[in-house]
Amino acid sequence: MFDQLRAFHRPTTIAQALRLFRTERRRGGRGAFVAGATDVVVLGDRRLRFLVDVTNLPLRYIRRRGGRWAIGATSRMADLEHSAELRRFANGALAEAAGTCGSLQIRNLATIGGNLANASPACDTAPPLLALDASVVIAGPRGRRTIPLDQFFRGVNRTALDGGLLVEILIPAASIPRGGRAAWSFQKLGRLKSDIAVVNAATGIVVDKGGHCTWARIALGAVAPTPLRARRAEASLVGQVPDRAAIEAAAARAAGEAKPVSDVRSTADYRREMSRLLVARALAECAGRLGRSS
Amino acid sequence: MNALEIHVTVNGESRSWSIAPGDLLLDVLRREGYWGVKRGCETGECGACAVLLDGAPVNSCLVFAAQADGRRVLTIEGVAHGDRLDPLQEAFLDHGAVQCGYCTPAMVLCTKALLERRADPTEDEVRETLSGVLCRCTGYRKPVEAVLAAARARPPAAKPKPAARRKGAAR
Repeated sequence: MFDQLRAFHRPTTIAQALRLFRTERRRGGRGAFVAGATDVVVLGDRRLRFLVDVTNLPLRYIRRRGGRWAIGATSRMADLEHSAELRRFANGALAEAAGTCGSLQIRNLATIGGNLANASPACDTAPPLLALDASVVIAGPRGRRTIPLDQFFRGVNRTALDGGLLVEILIPAASIPRGGRAAWSFQKLGRLKSDIAVVNAATGIVVDKGGHCTWARIALGAVAPTPLRARRAEASLVGQVPDRAAIEAAAARAAGEAKPVSDVRSTADYRREMSRLLVARALAECAGRLGRSS
Repeated sequence: MNALEIHVTVNGESRSWSIAPGDLLLDVLRREGYWGVKRGCETGECGACAVLLDGAPVNSCLVFAAQADGRRVLTIEGVAHGDRLDPLQEAFLDHGAVQCGYCTPAMVLCTKALLERRADPTEDEVRETLSGVLCRCTGYRKPVEAVLAAARARPPAAKPKPAARRKGAAR
């Protein structure tokens, strides 16, 4: 399938990887960075002339410093799924999402950086990362830049990478008021949990001592060209006690912010309705977790 | 094409192969006679081409052969001990867990990796492990029974310690 590929590079440093990519580009022809290859092979672009493999770069790590996290871009989905620390963080929402990214054999190859850089609308790790206010670190010829994940996705399979290499995902510490608490939830609808999502969603809420919501994140996938945050729905929750009525109202609002299309997996109408349902479930799970942990 | 030289340990034996940059591990393994690695969908869906790469199940149709350089590959040809089948393979036979057999190598390899990690896997864990290997003879029940029986039959010494898993899994 890739008989037109003239070079497969395996650099061991980020600088080397960027240099190889630039040099090959100058020689002409299409190329790409590749990690787990689970998307590159399936997309099967016969125009590819070179690949720069990044799995030998020192980017396979999951580090926690205080409430902040730094996750190396070539960490496998299986690494995230099995990380004991990550399973305890944010109610395990990110570890759980990673555990749904395809079969066991896929999760042993696929990387979190690749999952984001491929920019599938249905990317399963995006909703929890959006609900955690994550940023991505991009290495390029002129150094590093950090951009919020919600500005990273530019369209179906389109990102703000611009020839750069996604090297790290950063998650900031949640800002929780004294006496307050936080909870997250991940939800996914597919025929099997490992299938491509019909809809996926993640929510995060912070409540103060009195139980009023001070911060809310509602993220949806597979219902627009990019994973998205339902900002109006988020805003509607702030200041409210996340009871059933508030949750239903926010979920309905979030479904209104979705821009789904019909395809082989679902009709647009069904996706919109499932957006409402999944957001309601996610928020109810958050509220339940806050109730229990008091 | 600029040929690449790769060195791979396959079933415990060192191999050096000349490959093209775009060759996939599935194609190279089959070219080299490891026909137990089955060609199925070639898009990572069916799992028939699964091998263990450094002990972890992967679909060899999604791995560039160049990425296997310096690594260990286990195919079904390396699971038996000479003429003696692995107890897991025996369990598949005993339970009638093989119909057409096309998916069987992948099923054995994926669950072998599970048994090396988990002393007493639950039925759910076995099913989850098998879910990445599509069987179109509709035969999951017997493979599940076979794997659970193989786990139960292992002498205590052959079992991984339950505590070992946490250490290996936490990164």
